[in-house]
Amino acid sequence: MLEFQFASLTAFFEMAPHGIYVWPIYGLGVLVLGGLTFANARQHRRAVRMIQRNLEREETHES
Amino acid sequence: MGWRWFHQWGSPRWFYERAGRWQLVCGWLALTLLITGSFWGLALAPVDYQQGNSYRIIYLHVPVAFLAQALYAAMAVCAVVLFVWKMKLADVAMQSIAVMGFAFTALSLISGAVWGKPTWGTYWVWDARLTSMLILAFLYLGVIGLRAAIQDPDQAGKACGILVLVGVVNLPIIKYSVEWWNTLHQPASLKLTEKPAMPASMWVPLLINILGYYIAAAYLILGSMRAIVLERERRSAWVRELVSRA
Repeated sequence: MLEFQFASLTAFFEMAPHGIYVWPIYGLGVLVLGGLTFANARQHRRAVRMIQRNLEREETHES
Repeated sequence: MGWRWFHQWGSPRWFYERAGRWQLVCGWLALTLLITGSFWGLALAPVDYQQGNSYRIIYLHVPVAFLAQALYAAMAVCAVVLFVWKMKLADVAMQSIAVMGFAFTALSLISGAVWGKPTWGTYWVWDARLTSMLILAFLYLGVIGLRAAIQDPDQAGKACGILVLVGVVNLPIIKYSVEWWNTLHQPASLKLTEKPAMPASMWVPLLINILGYYIAAAYLILGSMRAIVLERERRSAWVRELVSRA
């Protein structure tokens, strides 16, 4: 049976004496995954905007 | 049917239209697995009798270290596909994987260093496993830099493909470094051929997170590939039509 391994939430966050090593690494993991997701979405938006600008420029030239 | 499924991968349009859906599925699946595996590993798995709570870094370090090597191997497969079948999408995949691979290798090195401090008493030693992983990070950086330095995408793809294939020699060195040399790094925590030494309550969350990080990498690579396909195919009719409808 799985059980919560700490006496309290404070003990969980302290992970005595290793919380100072464990939590920043998980924070960094979230930051890397979130950062890459954000970077991908931004790159996609920029590509769409660039193509839209090109299309508008072409339309202006034609008219 | 035959080889049709394989030839479909030669069409950037076919890929772009489907990858959005695959990405969505991968994203939610990865999120569910990573939350489950990480909570289990951090809160429910028992404390290690030797390393205390510092061992909980394993639930991030091991999956990203596996991934760092697997992504390089995937990049090498893409290079072979590019050279043999001249498939444009293989080059796009190589470009995406290089960035993700570097991010995961850096995360693996940093998490390993932070784990090393309470376990070995130092953040870094010039140990065979650590050094070969650092070389892997430089190889990824080399591929990213080489692509940025060459303007013609076709030439850049070929040059990167050669560099990737040369760098494959580093993968067996990483894997067997703990056996070939006397290293500080511990042997593999999980092996396909042996029952794990740790109890199930410790290795099951590790397996969940390994799967979660692999699917998260697929999600990230698909997203990056879609953006690159759009940039590279910007002059093609289907992209112009797609964007003008948006």
